[in-house]
Parts: sequence; C-alpha cells; structure tokens
Amino acid sequence: MARIELKGLRKVFGRNIEAVKNLDFTIEEGEFVVIVGPSGCGKTTTLRMIAGFEEPTAGEIEIDGRLVNDVDPGDRGVGMVFQTHALFPHKTIAENIEFGPRMKKVPEETRKQKVREVADMVRITHLLHKLPVECSGGEAQRAALARTLITDPTAFLLDEPLSSLDAKLRREMRAEIDRLHEELKKTFVYVTHDQEEAMTLADRIVVMRDGVIEQVGTPLEIYNDPVSYFVADFFGSPSMNLIAGAVEGSNGAAAFSGAGIEFKLPDAYAGVSSGEYTLGVRPEHIVVGSQDAAFSCDIQLVEPLGKDTLLYFEHGAERPTIAVIEASDRFKEGERLNVTFDPAHVYLFEPDGTRVR
Amino acid sequence: MNRVQKARLFTIFRYAMLFIWSVIVAFPIFWIVSTSFKPDWEWHAWPPVYWSQEASWANYRAVWGRTQSPRATSGEKVATETARYESHSANKPWQALWNSLYIAITATALSVAFGAILAYGVSRYRILSEIRMFQLLVLRMIPPIVVAAPLTLYYSAIHLMDTALGLIIVYFITTLPYSVWMTKSFVDEVPVEIEQAAEILGATKWQAIREVIFPLIRSGIVATFLFILILTWSEYLLSLMLSKVDVVTLPVQLAKYEGSDEGRVYGHQAALAVGITLPLMIIGIFIRKHLVRGFTFGMVKR
Repeated sequence: MARIELKGLRKVFGRNIEAVKNLDFTIEEGEFVVIVGPSGCGKTTTLRMIAGFEEPTAGEIEIDGRLVNDVDPGDRGVGMVFQTHALFPHKTIAENIEFGPRMKKVPEETRKQKVREVADMVRITHLLHKLPVECSGGEAQRAALARTLITDPTAFLLDEPLSSLDAKLRREMRAEIDRLHEELKKTFVYVTHDQEEAMTLADRIVVMRDGVIEQVGTPLEIYNDPVSYFVADFFGSPSMNLIAGAVEGSNGAAAFSGAGIEFKLPDAYAGVSSGEYTLGVRPEHIVVGSQDAAFSCDIQLVEPLGKDTLLYFEHGAERPTIAVIEASDRFKEGERLNVTFDPAHVYLFEPDGTRVR
Repeated sequence: MNRVQKARLFTIFRYAMLFIWSVIVAFPIFWIVSTSFKPDWEWHAWPPVYWSQEASWANYRAVWGRTQSPRATSGEKVATETARYESHSANKPWQALWNSLYIAITATALSVAFGAILAYGVSRYRILSEIRMFQLLVLRMIPPIVVAAPLTLYYSAIHLMDTALGLIIVYFITTLPYSVWMTKSFVDEVPVEIEQAAEILGATKWQAIREVIFPLIRSGIVATFLFILILTWSEYLLSLMLSKVDVVTLPVQLAKYEGSDEGRVYGHQAALAVGITLPLMIIGIFIRKHLVRGFTFGMVKR
C-alpha cells in the first residue's frame, strides 16, 4: 500500500505551456482517488508524473515517504492501466500478463501459476491463448488490469481506462474496478473526464481545472457543496441549472431577478450586496406546480427517462431550466406551470465563479 | 444499364487495364530471359525471335563459366561464337557478383542499423528537428553526378578509390535518409504507451526495445532493408566513377559487354542481367511475409 504525496508539483511543456501549476496533495494509503476535470486540465499530466513518464518541472513526488523524482517508472512500485489498454499486440494475453514477472526474472513455474491466479481474478482465463486483436475492448482492458495486477504494485494508476468502451461495458468494468479496490485494499489513482465515474468510484474526488486543484472532497461534498460555478456545473446529470441575473437587497432580505425569474433568496443570503450573480439550482430541487412561483412558464419538453421525468422550461435563461420529477405523465408539453426553487438548496455564484456562502 | 451491369463492366475494365500494365512491366523481363538463351544471330533478328528454337545455356557458360575456353556441348558453332566474346569478361562476373554482394549487403546493413537507431531517437526523443529531417531528405534530391566528380578527387587523395570500403561508405551515406525516414514511420506506428507499459512493468529501456519495439517494427525493417539493398545493388553511376579495376560491381560489369567490332553483346549481357536479378528475387521470396506487412504499414491495431 502506498501513500502518495505531491508537493508543489509543477509541469511546463515547451516554453510556456503550464499544464500543472503548483499542486499540493496527499493520497492516503488504500484510498481511491479520482482526478477529474475537462480535457487539458492537467489531470493526465499529474498521473504521468506520478508514474514517472513526465519529469516535474518543479516540486516533489513521494511514495511512502521515498522521494521518487529520479526513480524510473519500473522501480516506483506502481502499476498503470492506459486508456488504450496498451497490450503488446504481438504477444498472447498470457504472455502479456507474464511480461512483468518475466522481466524481473521470476522463475517460470511461479510465473505460470501467478498468471492463472490473476487471470482468474479478472475472469479472463478463457482468453489466455488469444492475441489482443482477438479480444473485445472490455476483455482487453481486463487483460491490461491483469498484467498490472501480477506485478503486485503498491498503487494503481488508471488513465481513463474506460473511455474507449461503450456505455454498458463501462458500467460493468466500473463495478469490476470497484470490486478490485475492495479486494486488494490498495491505493488507486484514477483519472477521468467523466463526472459519473468519479462520483461512483471515488473515496475522494480531486477536481482540476487549468492546472490547479479546484476542489477536493468526497463525492457527496463535491455534489452538495461545490466551491465554484465550475464544480457545480461539472457534476450532476442533468447538470445544475445556472441562471444569470441580479440580486437586489432591501431591508435585510435579498431577491434574485433575471430571465423572467423573481425569487426571494433564503435568509442565508440576506447579507449579500447587490449586483450581478448567477443562481444555481439542481434539477431535483425545482418545485413545479406549487402555489408560489419564482416564474411561470410553458413546459417546452417532457422527457420521460423511465424512473424519472425531465421537464424543460424555456424562459430566457442561457440554457433551458430543467426539473427532474418522479416519473409521471401528469404534465404535457405546452402546459403552463408555476415553478419555484427549494430555498434550502439554492446556490449563488459571483461573476468570477466563486460561490457566495 | 443497371448497377450490377455497370459494376461488372467496371470490373472487366479494371482487370483489362491491370492485364495490359502487367504485360508492359513483365515484357522486358521476359525479353531478357529469352535473349539470354538465344544464339548470337538471333539477338538482333527481325522479325524478333520470341523464343529461340536453338535455346541453350551457351551465353550463361560464356559469362559465368569458370574457364577461359569452355567446351560447349550444344554444337560446334555455338562454341566458337562463345570463344569469340570471351576475352572481355572472363571470370569477371563472379568477381563482380562477390563485390556487389559484399558491398551492397554491408552498406545496406550499416544504413538500416544506423538508420533504425536514428529513427527511434527522432520518433521518441526528437533528436532531429523537422527541418533537419527534411534536410536529410533534400540530401537525396541532389543528383549523384554532382557529388561524383568531387568524390573522385577526394577518394583519390585519401586512397579510397577503387576500394570496397569507399563504395560502402558512399552507399551508406546516400541511403541513410531513406532508412531513417522509412524506419521512423514504423516506429511512429508503435504507440508510445506500449513502450511505457513495458517500462512500468519493470522492463529496462533495452528490454522494452528488444521485447516490444523491435518485434513490432521487424517487418518494417526487413522491408527497408530490401528497398535499400535494391538501391545499392543496382547503383551504377557512383560505382562507375569510384571504381576502376579491382572493385567492379555487377551494374558496371553489365555495361562492359560491348565489343569494338561486334557491337553490343546482348546474349551475354542478358545472361548476366538474369544473374543480377535472381539474388534479389530469391531474397524477396524468402522475406515476402515481411514485405507484405512492411509495405502496407498500419500493422499495429490500436
């Protein structure tokens, strides 16, 4: 098991492309950390620095208290699973899995036995004699996992391992990875741009943006208590409704108005100074058909998803406001409804994106 | 005309074109083989003789025969004809074949080996900028005649004239751009993650290259090797300028079958030409598996 410490980590490509700016973060032993963010946020670069494929421009990486900046990837005791599975195309699955121990001169007898063990663990025993091209995407990724498992790394680094799989397989493999983490109790560092993967897998999520950490927290913390517009917008599906407008304060009460909305803000925001803000409400915190109305609007679209139903309202905001309600065919498109927000769950963001607390 | 008919017509047209092209390409080869078996009065005959009634190995014996005056078994006339042309070239073809084999294979091996190392460096570490790589290619665009004359001077001065080493050096340098460019495209095809996967699994750089990179680009290297071998094997101009007596290569030898009074000695030339072509064909047959894979690129499924 490994504790990975990143201290003042920085990476500059070429002359002035700063991929990672001053990263300070500690991944605890046995923790499942997901680094998430849009493409170009520096998440993969960070992972590759931990693996040893990129040399940090500045800062230190410690694994279990050992400074590894100058240690080769193979000697860091970590394993990596790549986005493109990166199996050796000219070797069978068995030879692929055997590669690590063979390089380390493990005797053949032990090697064969371990291959069978790990193949059994990820359920690919029937594929051992096949070449990677003969395997499906999911099978190849399992084989890649097995190839890493056999080297018994102290930490697993996974670089978007599921992004090339289709939706159903992705869910399956996600569960598989979760199970492996439970069984092995090793440190997992997982990079993805998919917020759903992050939410379901992580013990802790690290949200990165433009080379810096935007927020660190458990999935629920990130979801319920985003520090910024960016995080609020990034997590959740459908994403949070974000409506630009202005706050007007009078006699200790503040009200939000914009895009046809008049909404009295809860007391927590009473002290907010007047000015431009963005109001944020998650779809599940929108109340429809109530007596009071933040706004009144025709239903533009009803989208039944089975368990839930989505209602779209077009009322002049940048994006249509979406409400999620329990599955129901009560509502019809074109019907006029009163819409308001659950005051306990509204967020307010400054124009620069920081959250008003 | 419906679609099926159109498609069929197009297929017929395509095969007809391919057939015509094949004939155009294959005819000279057939003609050389045919001529190599003809007696001398049929070399220039009109109407042309496509396949001689008196086909014999006489030309081959004359060219490749070991002794100064071989005894022909296929008739008195042929034997005397053969003897007439002998003085030009007795025993030289074997020497030229050996020279060509030795020089071409050594130069090609050097070029491919060195080129592969350079290509790996360029592909993975950008040891040469794009401009340098382009300049390397431009080097090949200089007509050989431009360098031939000055090289002759330098080679005389440093005693490389008429030596195998001299030709090996010049072939090695002039083919290097090809081997770098070709091998680089094969190394580029191998995703860098595959190499990194090997490294993080505990392989040293050398092990990663031997176990992963080399097997994946082997076909490409073989294809490059044959390509460059053909270039050096058939190179004429530089060989002509830089050799005199001792290291005559096959293409230069081929041009020597010109008598002062009898004109071009086609039959012997053809027999030698067949001898020049055969080794390449034999090599080609042995490595055809690699050639198909090598020349079709895209060999790594991502």
